Amino acid sequence: MARLSQKLFSPRLRQFGHILPFNVFVWILLLFYLSPVFFIIVTAMKPTEQLTDRNSPLYPASMVRYEYQGREYPLYHVPTEAGIQQWALIKPRRATSEFIDPQHPESGPIQWQGSWRTLKRVYQFHIAWENFTVLFKSLLFPRMFLSTSLMTLIGEIAVLTSSIVVAYGFSRFSLPGGNLLFYILIATILIPEKVTFIPSYFVYVNYLHWRGTFLPILLPLFFGNAVYIFLLRQNFKSIPVDLEEAAMLDGAGPLQRLFYVILPQSWPVVITVSLLYFFYSWNEIREVSLYLGSNIKLMPLSYGVQTYQSFTPIQNLIEASTIVVLAVPVILLFLFQRFFLQGLVITGMEEGTSSGV
Amino acid sequence: MQSTSLLEKKTSIQPRLSAETRYKRQIGLFLISPWLIGLLVFKLIPILASLVISFTNYQLLGPDKPHFIGVQNYIHVFKDAVAGKVLWQTVNLTLVIIPLQIAASVWIAGLLSSRRLLWKNTIRTLFFLPSIIPAFAATLMWQGYLDPGIGWLNRLILKPLGLERGLAPALVGGIDPIFILISLWSIGPSVLIMMGAMQSISPEIYEAAWLDGAGRLTRFFRMTIPLITPAIFFSLTLNLTALFGGAILLDRGNTYRGNISSYDGYVNYVLLDLFRVGYASSLAWVFFVFVLIVILILFGTSKRWVHFPDRER
Repeated sequence: MARLSQKLFSPRLRQFGHILPFNVFVWILLLFYLSPVFFIIVTAMKPTEQLTDRNSPLYPASMVRYEYQGREYPLYHVPTEAGIQQWALIKPRRATSEFIDPQHPESGPIQWQGSWRTLKRVYQFHIAWENFTVLFKSLLFPRMFLSTSLMTLIGEIAVLTSSIVVAYGFSRFSLPGGNLLFYILIATILIPEKVTFIPSYFVYVNYLHWRGTFLPILLPLFFGNAVYIFLLRQNFKSIPVDLEEAAMLDGAGPLQRLFYVILPQSWPVVITVSLLYFFYSWNEIREVSLYLGSNIKLMPLSYGVQTYQSFTPIQNLIEASTIVVLAVPVILLFLFQRFFLQGLVITGMEEGTSSGV
Repeated sequence: MQSTSLLEKKTSIQPRLSAETRYKRQIGLFLISPWLIGLLVFKLIPILASLVISFTNYQLLGPDKPHFIGVQNYIHVFKDAVAGKVLWQTVNLTLVIIPLQIAASVWIAGLLSSRRLLWKNTIRTLFFLPSIIPAFAATLMWQGYLDPGIGWLNRLILKPLGLERGLAPALVGGIDPIFILISLWSIGPSVLIMMGAMQSISPEIYEAAWLDGAGRLTRFFRMTIPLITPAIFFSLTLNLTALFGGAILLDRGNTYRGNISSYDGYVNYVLLDLFRVGYASSLAWVFFVFVLIVILILFGTSKRWVHFPDRER
């Protein structure tokens, strides 16, 4: 018996059978985990008339109507003696309503006993692309895209450059005070923003009059971000020093070594950090609302859409605008997935702190 | 450990440093100087400034000039019932959310780094996807999703199970369930960190355990988890500070309705609606000290459970 099964199932197939249940489980979990994303996509495509109807289908669909004597009437599923018919409701009344049968309009209105409110409407599949047209008419997307892109691009360059240089300093050079400065770096990650926010806010707004400019948001980025410095440093530390020593013997200075030896080996973590900043900056609304809120010209995408959503209690438009905000980050996530998903290595914390170049 | 670090200290205080070491230190200092300046300008000075302000009655729209009023603000904070309530809410939230986040991210990272997983990159990317939905949109999305009438929770999950009416999302320990859902759907960075740690475990260790007859669960709980404790510790710290309004890796650590937590929201209210700058500063400082204590406790316990590879040498 065992022999037979061995003959029937090749090793590869048996291996597949071994991993299949696991993969099916992961896919089910993934479907569940992504259901909010599907909800966003499907809701964004729904016509508004479908939203308030509990009995409407889950897919995007519009109500079917029938034109009778120059006017449009909605179709309902009506239970009759001849099974459920799709009739158009002409005169809705409490006890009896008048319907018309679209197949035989010539036979005139039909009286139906019962409350029409209990009936279900007839729907047909329909994607409401007009949601997006409405959005593009009511929001200045090109300008908001430009503002967000500009802010994110400048911030990205600033925070990446400074964090990389500082991380290099932390990873390869023994600093005065030993590890003390590094511990201070970690400590700054933990400081609640509120305690530094109050004085900074008043300096920016009341003394420097920077409200309505990008400056209060962008300026701190030129001085590095503690989390990014930490992540980059851990990665730089895992690169062997031999190559760098060789480069040093050839007369390469510290910055040259950083650019020609360290960076070419650290693309995954550099890309990960820059994507993390990108997602942060693209979606950020707290700082933006505090400092840019008054300046409509520089209104970034996230803040514009958030404001729109808070004044538009219509779920399909809300989700459609969410898709507009999400589009660019999702594209970047898929483009760079190969680098991004190698994971962030943070172990090897104290390794070789004393061995500088 | 204690003795070696003392030794190191001694050598580092040695008066005469070689020219080369001094040169290296100068370069190191030069390289980290942007951060040092930032530390001074954007952290230390504002922290001290808000400490000073917290001892004054500074109001933005007040008739009288700001002057020092001693510890009155702090006395007020401790008498302020609202401050106590929002602090308690924040603590409550932390106690519910952080364990959930850590458990979920360890579990998902374990699934995603399994050797049995097909189409690894695609699946990992898809698991990261919900984490980049902006917080404001996520809030509204969950409201729609949980809506008793048209929401998917009722229509897709509860109705088929016959639970339609019974399971309106209940408050969990006084916390809006949307807050919990948002924080569980934003664990992407934590998963990345855990995955990075899991991948750096050498396969030989697993093989040895497998030969010794250790099952899958044993290997996961007895080997993987102890070996990734540094990653767990790091993401615990990050999630905690995100909840307390420290460094945030994606736009929400846990931003919800514009505020990181109810305490954060209260400080914003006192500052931006009541314009009581002095009082807001003392509220912020009380919170700062509270966070410091929590972090110190966390770091104090870390020696017991975090497996630092270098400590064993």
